Amino acid sequence: MLLIHCPYCDATLPEAEFAYAGEAHISRPADPSALSDEEWRDYLFIRTNARGPHFERWRHIHGCGRFFNAVRDTVSDRFLMTYKAGEARPDLTVKEAAE
Amino acid sequence: MTTQRHDFDPTPFLVEELPWAPRFSLRVRPENRAALAGALGLELPTAVGQRSTAGGVEVLCLGPDEWTILAPDAAPLAAGSGAAYAQIPHSLVEISDREITLRLSGAQALTALTTGCPRDIDAMPVGQGARTLFDSATVILWRDDRQDFRMDVWRSFLPHVRALLDQVMVELKSGL
Amino acid sequence: MSRYRIPGMGRVDPAAPVSFTFDGRSYQGLRGDTVASALLANGVHLMGRSFKYHRPRGVVTAGSEEPNALIGTSRGPGRFEPNTRATVQELRAGLTTESQNKWPSLKFDIGAVNDRAYMLFSAGFYYKTFMWPRSFWDKVYEPFIRAAAGLGKSPAEVDPDSYAHRNLHTDVLVVGGGAAGISAALTAAKSGARVVLVDENPEMGGSLLSDPSVRIDGRGSWAWLAEQLSQLRAAGVRLMTRTTAIGYYHQNFVGLVERVTDHLDQPPHGAPRERMWHVRAEQVVLAQGALEKPLVFDGNDRPGVMLAGAAQTYLNRYGVKVGDNAAVVTSHDSAWYAAFDLVDAGARVAAIADTRDSVRPDLVEAARKRGILVLTGHTATATEGRLRVKSVRVNPVRNGQVGAGRKIPCDALLICGGWTPSLHLFSHTKGSLTWDADSRTFLPDHKTEACQIAGAGRGLWGYGFVLEDGVKAGIAAAQALGRSADASDARVEGDRPGTGISQKELPTDRSPGKAKAFVDYQNDVTAKDIRLAVREGMRSIEHVKRYTTNGMATDQGKMSNINGLMIAADALGKEPPQVGLTTFRPPYTPTSFGAFAGYHKGATFEITRKTPIDPWAEAQGAVFEPVSLWRRAWYFPKAGEDMHAAVARECRATRASVGMFDASTLGKIEVAGPDAVEFMNRMYTNPWTKLQPGRCRYGLLLGEDGFIRDDGVIGRMSPDLFHVTTTTGGAARVLNMMEDYLQTEWPDLDVWLTSTTEQWATVAVNGPNARKVLEKLVEGLDLSDTNFPHMSVAECTVAGLPARLFRISFTGELGFEVNVPARHGLQLWKAIHEAGQQYDICPYGTETMHVLRAEKGYIIVGQDTDGTVTPQDAGLDWAIGKAKKDFVGKRSLSRPDIVAPNRKQLVGLLTEDGRKLEEGAQIVLDPSQSLPMTMAGHVTSSYDSVALGRPIAMAVVTGGLSRMGETVHIPMPDGTIRATITSTNFYDPAGERLKA
Repeated sequence: MLLIHCPYCDATLPEAEFAYAGEAHISRPADPSALSDEEWRDYLFIRTNARGPHFERWRHIHGCGRFFNAVRDTVSDRFLMTYKAGEARPDLTVKEAAE
Repeated sequence: MTTQRHDFDPTPFLVEELPWAPRFSLRVRPENRAALAGALGLELPTAVGQRSTAGGVEVLCLGPDEWTILAPDAAPLAAGSGAAYAQIPHSLVEISDREITLRLSGAQALTALTTGCPRDIDAMPVGQGARTLFDSATVILWRDDRQDFRMDVWRSFLPHVRALLDQVMVELKSGL
Repeated sequence: MSRYRIPGMGRVDPAAPVSFTFDGRSYQGLRGDTVASALLANGVHLMGRSFKYHRPRGVVTAGSEEPNALIGTSRGPGRFEPNTRATVQELRAGLTTESQNKWPSLKFDIGAVNDRAYMLFSAGFYYKTFMWPRSFWDKVYEPFIRAAAGLGKSPAEVDPDSYAHRNLHTDVLVVGGGAAGISAALTAAKSGARVVLVDENPEMGGSLLSDPSVRIDGRGSWAWLAEQLSQLRAAGVRLMTRTTAIGYYHQNFVGLVERVTDHLDQPPHGAPRERMWHVRAEQVVLAQGALEKPLVFDGNDRPGVMLAGAAQTYLNRYGVKVGDNAAVVTSHDSAWYAAFDLVDAGARVAAIADTRDSVRPDLVEAARKRGILVLTGHTATATEGRLRVKSVRVNPVRNGQVGAGRKIPCDALLICGGWTPSLHLFSHTKGSLTWDADSRTFLPDHKTEACQIAGAGRGLWGYGFVLEDGVKAGIAAAQALGRSADASDARVEGDRPGTGISQKELPTDRSPGKAKAFVDYQNDVTAKDIRLAVREGMRSIEHVKRYTTNGMATDQGKMSNINGLMIAADALGKEPPQVGLTTFRPPYTPTSFGAFAGYHKGATFEITRKTPIDPWAEAQGAVFEPVSLWRRAWYFPKAGEDMHAAVARECRATRASVGMFDASTLGKIEVAGPDAVEFMNRMYTNPWTKLQPGRCRYGLLLGEDGFIRDDGVIGRMSPDLFHVTTTTGGAARVLNMMEDYLQTEWPDLDVWLTSTTEQWATVAVNGPNARKVLEKLVEGLDLSDTNFPHMSVAECTVAGLPARLFRISFTGELGFEVNVPARHGLQLWKAIHEAGQQYDICPYGTETMHVLRAEKGYIIVGQDTDGTVTPQDAGLDWAIGKAKKDFVGKRSLSRPDIVAPNRKQLVGLLTEDGRKLEEGAQIVLDPSQSLPMTMAGHVTSSYDSVALGRPIAMAVVTGGLSRMGETVHIPMPDGTIRATITSTNFYDPAGERLKA
């Protein structure tokens, strides 16, 4: 069982309190009717399936209830960071350089 | 050496079901929190887990825009909410019947909670609270003292939670 | 005193005899014994038969790694456990034990014929033997394999014991209570950290318990140990004995299993048998020590052949000598000390044969002083003795040539092939290993977790080194926590440092092809099997493992993996690290299902949610069915009624007069705020803007893929407030989906969602007399059709209770749903029941609800839909707000696949012969087509309808909506059924009854 840092509670808590919610930074198109069938297909179904750092969403469902974003390495199953919903996708090269 | 002695504990902890009391879920944008608190005459803590008590009204911050309020007299709260709504959009929903509150106290109350709560309950400061898990039921935990807790459990989950606590009671009484 | 017990030795209590039985015979041991030590004290070495060859086997170890001495234990009715390790099971009064894998008796076993036929059972035997003819599989091979397979026999009764669970958070978890673990724990605790120290044995001490002659800080090791333990207690360290760390997972999450009562004569009432601990530690110290390896040579498995360290433990810890006249074959210094201890305790050691050419002179000197024959540069090539070893044959090896053998009589043979660090938990974390060429063993290398490794677990030997290392680990753990810890050192006298080498199977002067030189005792894998696997093409150690089953038994290769690797590497002509080690996986030792289940058995197996009205239904003798986590009243049988009769009566009564139904489980969400209507417009397919307060509407919820996710009636209580209902099973899912959109897509909307599922209890009242019943109870509302028409909602008082009253129907009859605060739910139910007596009101359950709604063609999401059904497929186009620019799922409704012809569509089915169809039955258009037929759909709902006097069904059929009146076919085992496609609205299609 992993530990996950909730950016809203500012606490690191057991995974059991959280629920996975799919890949992050996939915004619902503002006007879906303007999209071609292919564009809409990509929005619905096409996902990164990253090997390594993966931007994904979690919800602190048995806690504060907030959805937030996380970067998790799918190889090591380790969280690199978490951040609030709506914040920009972090630049991992900057983060790595800082470490 | 093999231990063959054990000490029975007749009352490892106590479980009481607290009587019904008015309870509300309050939601408002964080930027409107202070204004609404002023309008309702409440203290709305800003950090998740923090509590306030004023004039017999208890408030627990469950999320960045969510508070649970225990107000013995519901009428002024409802009236204040209605009056403030147009200026400060928010939601105040009565949930008095949604949860039933158990009080767990006694020397092993904390131990009893560790049977079902994965988070570090001992690290929760006295006077705080949180929504968390007990077994697979979502609960709201209030720590009133080192070994004195309230646990709000959704009504339909209560039989399961109580049955688990009954098992834990028998186990802890055995002294092993 | 038993024949092999040495008075004055060991940590057992000579004043506390304990009786037990083994294979029906009574024996006496002492408090503090294990079953193994007690049997050995009575001269019993033969404890079981091996799995494949049924060879007689004795105990090999004194710990949890034991591969041979697996026994069945019984602690009373229902409390039988197979495969208990006799070396772990502590003696307790009245314990009944039995050997396994034998028939008719342990000493004479028919299955041992397998041993004679051993040539048949070589590596890959199953793969090669049971290949053809194919027809033999069912009748011959499978019954044979099933009869021969399995270790021990499964318990047949329900486990009457209870099991417990704890979550524990700590600063430091130290695994292993030997010298290293104790010094690490004490050092860390003195820094102020919270420390937990666990050990799988009944007492802390590890190898110190087997080495009483060592002196630490001027005291005997046992006195030093006692003093350390009291210091640990004083420092607040939680000491957990009989507790095995079974798995080490991410972020220092460690699973522990504590054996609570298996050692007790009279477990106190309510005490759990085992307790699973989920530990989260900031720092973990692994101090698990090392495991001794056997030497691999012909006959190394006879009863009486055991590890030298085990013999030393039986002697010093239990006061049991494993024989009167022992011999030793070793490649490590440690076995020499075991021999010395045996001689010093009064036993005879005939000889020490060491595979190394040169051995430390002080050891040789000490052996000679004790009258032990020293044979360096020797190999062992055979043993004799059927049920107990009688002799060992040893030969000199000079320049790779094996010389003439000599036979050394013995009644116990102590073997030692060196030690391998216990790498299991470290490997669970995917920590990498490094090959130490000097000791020819793997050591822990790169760590992936916040852990320290101390002592023999990282290849150190000798108490001086190990204690120092433990202190270092304690300091490192404390410093990682931001604390400062002080170094301390211990003065060790009479230390027993040592070195040794690891070996492949020992050289022999006989045919290696005929040698029964065992690598894995439990799975009966020999050195020859491993070499055969390599010859037959296995190159990866993982393939060798699976082909031979080496290391795949319940001991998880604790003793066999390294020896197996040495042999495989030699056969492949590679260095061991190039061949690699198989992966160790949790659990470290076999773990009971009970420990994993914890409290989740019987009534608390999983959550059972109950409504406020549930007690009434139970008192009435209702039959319940599970619906998601809820239990719901299924039907209310009267005396003598079966389900069919009860449901028919409930249906008839509701359509004829009035029925009542507990609908409290429906999900309810309060959607509130200035943007509530905008939010509803975006979420649901339906238009909400023009819905007036006081009115309600059927709402349909799609996923973005356009498929139906949920539905329910939604009432507008005020301009900014909606009372949303969801399906019972969908409540949490729908709220989560709404929160998702609100928080992450539309955070600009001023609207909030609150679950009120459990705030309200809900009673549905349906039937032509529904209004008459409710009128007696309702205050503040005119229930007439004019004032309160179908699809209305209002706040009022019902039976004196504050209520939200809906006029809606899931039956096609005049219907109402009354919501009151949940604590009043039962009171409301009783009031309606009483008021309805005049009209013979009939409580009905979920089955009648299903029949009545099916007669009207109302769908159940999840029964008539399966996640691939669009609104058009379900005939629900009318629920789509055509003028709305967007809502969740709208764009998908014009995707090519969704608008394609011949999608499966929901229709009604009426059978021509009046038979009831089976739900799930497949439908074909042409029953005479060749196999396999093209499936055209399946039956989703099927019931006997009282109102229609015949069975009805709903089904999804390819292009079904354009096939009205056509005949389809449902092939069943007893013949093909013909059915006609109809509308799903079977009853009162004009809906007159709703408007009553």
